[in-house]
Amino acid sequence: MGFLDIRNATKSYGAVEVLHQVDIAVEEGEFLVLVGPSGCGKSTLLNMIAGLEDITSGEIAIKGNVVNGVHPSKRNIAMVFQSYALYPNMTVAQNITFGLEMHGVPKADRDTAMQEVAKLLQIEQLLSRKPGQLSGGQRQRVAMGRALVRDPDVFLFDEPLSNLDAKLRVDMRTEIKKLHQKLGTTIVYVTHDQIEAMTLSTRIAVMNGGYVQQLGTPKEIYDNPANLFVASFMGSPSMNLVPVTVRAEANAIYAVTTTESNGEIKLAFPEPTPALKAYDGQQITLGIRPEAITDPDGADRKSTHVETLRAQVEVTEPAGSDTFVTCHLGGTECIARMRADADVAPGQVFDFAVNMEKAVPFDPRSENRIF
Amino acid sequence: MAQATQDTAIRTGRVTRTLIYLVLLLFALFYMLPLYVMVVNSLKPLDEITGGGMMNLPEMWTLEPWRKAWSEAQIGVEPTGLKPYFWNSIQMVVPAVALSTVLGALNGYVLTKWRFKYDTILFGLMLFACFIPFQIVLIPMARVLGVLGLAGSVWGLVLVHLVYGIGFTTLYFRNYYAVFPTELVRAAQIDGAGFFQIFWRILLPSSGPIAVVSVIWQFTNIWNDFLFGASFAAGDGAPMTVALNNLVQSSTGVKEYNVHFAGAILAATPTLLVYIVAGRYFVRGLMAGSVKG
Repeated sequence: MGFLDIRNATKSYGAVEVLHQVDIAVEEGEFLVLVGPSGCGKSTLLNMIAGLEDITSGEIAIKGNVVNGVHPSKRNIAMVFQSYALYPNMTVAQNITFGLEMHGVPKADRDTAMQEVAKLLQIEQLLSRKPGQLSGGQRQRVAMGRALVRDPDVFLFDEPLSNLDAKLRVDMRTEIKKLHQKLGTTIVYVTHDQIEAMTLSTRIAVMNGGYVQQLGTPKEIYDNPANLFVASFMGSPSMNLVPVTVRAEANAIYAVTTTESNGEIKLAFPEPTPALKAYDGQQITLGIRPEAITDPDGADRKSTHVETLRAQVEVTEPAGSDTFVTCHLGGTECIARMRADADVAPGQVFDFAVNMEKAVPFDPRSENRIF
Repeated sequence: MAQATQDTAIRTGRVTRTLIYLVLLLFALFYMLPLYVMVVNSLKPLDEITGGGMMNLPEMWTLEPWRKAWSEAQIGVEPTGLKPYFWNSIQMVVPAVALSTVLGALNGYVLTKWRFKYDTILFGLMLFACFIPFQIVLIPMARVLGVLGLAGSVWGLVLVHLVYGIGFTTLYFRNYYAVFPTELVRAAQIDGAGFFQIFWRILLPSSGPIAVVSVIWQFTNIWNDFLFGASFAAGDGAPMTVALNNLVQSSTGVKEYNVHFAGAILAATPTLLVYIVAGRYFVRGLMAGSVKG
């Protein structure tokens, strides 16, 4: 049993079920990120934890107490909203202490708590201002201050960074992470930005269509996506999905595909598992991250299964830190991430190094990973 | 290219500009004319008016007609002037405006932030109040006031105006609160604020512009109402408008036009004041939410 338990939580509006049997146990101090495209049910789930939406069936428990039907203010949670939701008529100080006031905390204690939080977030000089006089980043801090001051069991963040400009977003991301490391609080964080999910979380729940597609650590999600949706949603540029044919030979299993310029190529899987062998002769989808396709010198030296494939370079996109190289593999476009100074030019026939340890096979019909 | 800049929206030609101002000035004068006639004639002795020359300035300036209209003129049977009726109107208009505005705000709050099944239908029904002609409800309303024991009293009129006003005030506040971020209400809920705490502490303090609209609208309508005043408030309980009518329409004695003019201005002063004091918020409130800002 976890600190925050979501057991078979389901949400329907009338006959339409928007969230199906979600089951997540969050440990104390964990940073869980719910990530997915819009309409996947992540915000609905967060609102159900907060008590802003009813739970149609199933249970949500905080610290072992089932909170279905418990008023949001009595769940000992705090929430940071996308729009920050600062009360426009109150000063920053009043905004921060409003929740304590509503919970009947004496004025002296409220002020002490407020000062502490203001110091932590470095907003002491803003306390007498109104939200309308603050910049986006300052509002964001005040919104976090309002949540922190309550000292809740669980923090809920609803896309808190999506209204900030790109640079500020990265800064605030780091600050949230620092804050989490410092305070060790339990956080559930909703975002549609997979980079935020990867960088902040201790665990990620990737959601789509009202289902949790995969729940795991950022590394698990990134390296071993459970299905094609997770594979293509997480990572930027997204995972290359190449149609290949499985061919089992004496003591190895190969993924066979073609390039336009150099005909058939064979890539050996690191381990000839029985599951793969069952697909002998059939077409599967092979997922390869762009950074698993490099120039031969840039290949991962720890990997024991680097395969080489010869193909024509179509486009190179130098991005400063990396160079993205596009080629055609099995009729689909394939992006390789190379070192910035990789010696590669468009039109050239090039030896790409593919790290097969990082390649993930998928069944194209069920879209699930083949183990 | 160089000539083209002469024709921008900012620098219109001098001739056009003069013409525009001239036309505007003419219209302004035209609209000010009735007020001018009322003011000058209320400051003249009666014989100057009956002698013709309505547009002339007074030869002998006097405040006597004003004093007479306020405290001496014959209204109905008593020579009380308009004073007691002015207070009747105040006693009616203040609670009616305050209550209808607060209830409208509360309705708007519930209809937007505490949605329930069929709430739009309910709101639609409430809007009927804005479209039903006053004359239709006279007889049922008289019956209701009779049953409640409020017939002929100021409180009866307050009730009538309250009921009629709620439709409008609800419409104003509902539309205003519809664009008020629901996340604020949710944040307040998580902070532990209750139904009325959210209303008083979060929504009402942000409702300035629309409250002004509601107050101006309600004040003007209720103060200027004649039909309900004449129908449901008899004799001493009558509001200002009814008293003014009794003053002007009296069929006996000399028609004291100067007193009538003074009385009419007195009756119009409060609404004029409300517009001058709160007018600039009026447009702002009407426009609120129409543009992103």
